[in-house]
Amino acid sequence: MRSRRSLPYGRGSVAIGRGSVAIGRGSVLMLLVPLIAGAQSFGQQSLDHRIDLPHDAPVSLVGDEWGGSAANVRGGAFVLDVRVSLSLRNSSQRRIHGITLAVLAQETAPGGKGSISVPSLDVAPGESFSVRGDLHLLRPISAGSRPMVEVDLDGVLFDDMTFYGPDKLHSRRTMMVWELEARRDRHYFKTLLEQAGRESLQKELVASLSRDADRPQFNVQTVRGRATNTDPEHDVQFAFLRFPEAPVEPMDGVARIAGNEARTPKLVVHNRSDRIVRYLEMGWIVRDQQGREFLAASVPAEMRLPPRSSSQILQDAALRFDPRTSIEGMTGFISSVEFMDGSFWIPSRVELDDPTLRRVVAPSPEEQRLVQIYRKKGLNAVIEELKKF
Amino acid sequence: MRKHVTEADLAVYAAGDLSWWMRPLTHLHVSRCAVCKGRAEAYRADQQRIRELANELPQGLNWDRLAAEMHANIHVGLEAGECVAPRTGRRSIPAGWRMAAAMAGFTALLISAWWLNMPAAQTASLGRAMKAITHWQISRGLRFEDSGPLVEATAAGVELRENGSALAVTHGVNSKPVAVSLSVQGSARARYIDSDTGQVTITSVYAQ
Repeated sequence: MRSRRSLPYGRGSVAIGRGSVAIGRGSVLMLLVPLIAGAQSFGQQSLDHRIDLPHDAPVSLVGDEWGGSAANVRGGAFVLDVRVSLSLRNSSQRRIHGITLAVLAQETAPGGKGSISVPSLDVAPGESFSVRGDLHLLRPISAGSRPMVEVDLDGVLFDDMTFYGPDKLHSRRTMMVWELEARRDRHYFKTLLEQAGRESLQKELVASLSRDADRPQFNVQTVRGRATNTDPEHDVQFAFLRFPEAPVEPMDGVARIAGNEARTPKLVVHNRSDRIVRYLEMGWIVRDQQGREFLAASVPAEMRLPPRSSSQILQDAALRFDPRTSIEGMTGFISSVEFMDGSFWIPSRVELDDPTLRRVVAPSPEEQRLVQIYRKKGLNAVIEELKKF
Repeated sequence: MRKHVTEADLAVYAAGDLSWWMRPLTHLHVSRCAVCKGRAEAYRADQQRIRELANELPQGLNWDRLAAEMHANIHVGLEAGECVAPRTGRRSIPAGWRMAAAMAGFTALLISAWWLNMPAAQTASLGRAMKAITHWQISRGLRFEDSGPLVEATAAGVELRENGSALAVTHGVNSKPVAVSLSVQGSARARYIDSDTGQVTITSVYAQ
């Protein structure tokens, strides 16, 4: 199914006069005023958009809204704010538990992509659901070509953990992890309700709400294979949080640190399971000069790690924090593992019950969804929601 | 028979001001033509006489009286100026300060224009470049930032920037993510929750 339209955006013009110019005080003002105000006006600019769903896709397009979008000129760039809301129907015979749409804006960010994912869904066959997202695109005026936004289906995850889609953004992997986390957390809350009662469930939801509010906010950038910091560099060793049940154990790790920048993490991991590991992700926690800790990034690694063997992970990338941040220490932990047979391991609730992890790692999307339902509709609504699964 | 040189050209030739490309032909003609030669010599004699007259001073010139008259004329001029526009005694601002004030005003105007119009990404990029140059001048070495993609996660969301272009995916103008995360492989995620339905939407940007 393919939908293509062109949206005309605002109009305006900057008039540039012809003929002789007498430079006087008035003329100087005439020249300077456009510097401040004239740049707010913009030429006719239209945005092409296309929604591309394969003919055999398990979802069909019911409707799409692109209203409220705007285009402006700021300095030497076009700023496009695109608001899209899609209404999709489950046209398959299975329940949909997650979807990822790829957003391509080739002219705007060369090579760059975006995506909109909705995990923790439970859409029965024939039911409709909505996916909403805002795109903010900036591109130099000199880029020439008309901006184009394309929305493609990257993947759909069903309740039986099967997957449909081209998976160009590896959305199968991420949606599988979100689904496993959702099942783990729903099971935990259900067990809590059954064994300890409503009050214990309520207490746990309030505690999650409180942790969400206290979680440190941070700004971090990543760049591949380069650094701009001029401070002297030194090596800092990773400390590790080891999970007894994890199939992979972190053994050693180091990164180059220069002021507010950390780069080129090198990690050694050991597969202590009986299965071949093909992918893993490590969480990278950073401690600053004031002792504050925050989850800075994840370190993913594609590999082929046979049972009972070790391997080195090397990422040619740099993390840059706020200029006032000085990195003093680092902690790593295994956050997910994918085996060669396509199955996954994620940490259990018991393993995540570590003071540092509880403080810095965000809960699963499903836990945040249940907490939001509790906040908006109360405990009974959460209990009803848990009964659905 | 060849025509004589015109009076105008002959006068300019006698003064030595004839253009270089006419001078050789004129000189050749004058050296062979008695009429023109005579006229040229007459012009030269007139010029010499005028120079001598100009160098002569008037007879009985009284220098002291001349200086006094000049001073008196200056005073008269000043008095006349006072009558037209009385002087307030205000000190005039030196020209250098005027220029500095004009430059300061212009700079303030440019900064205002930049602040109002220039996207934050371009401002930040310029700031980093200036900082790098400053550090380099302190002579601690420099590693230049290339124009490769940069992925950023902040409390406001996630963004991809490259070559002055940027792409950010959010969940509404007024929505703030409840969690953001970054991958060193060049991607970032922001998680949003619909306050009414609780539906979770996760937006991502990828450098490659």
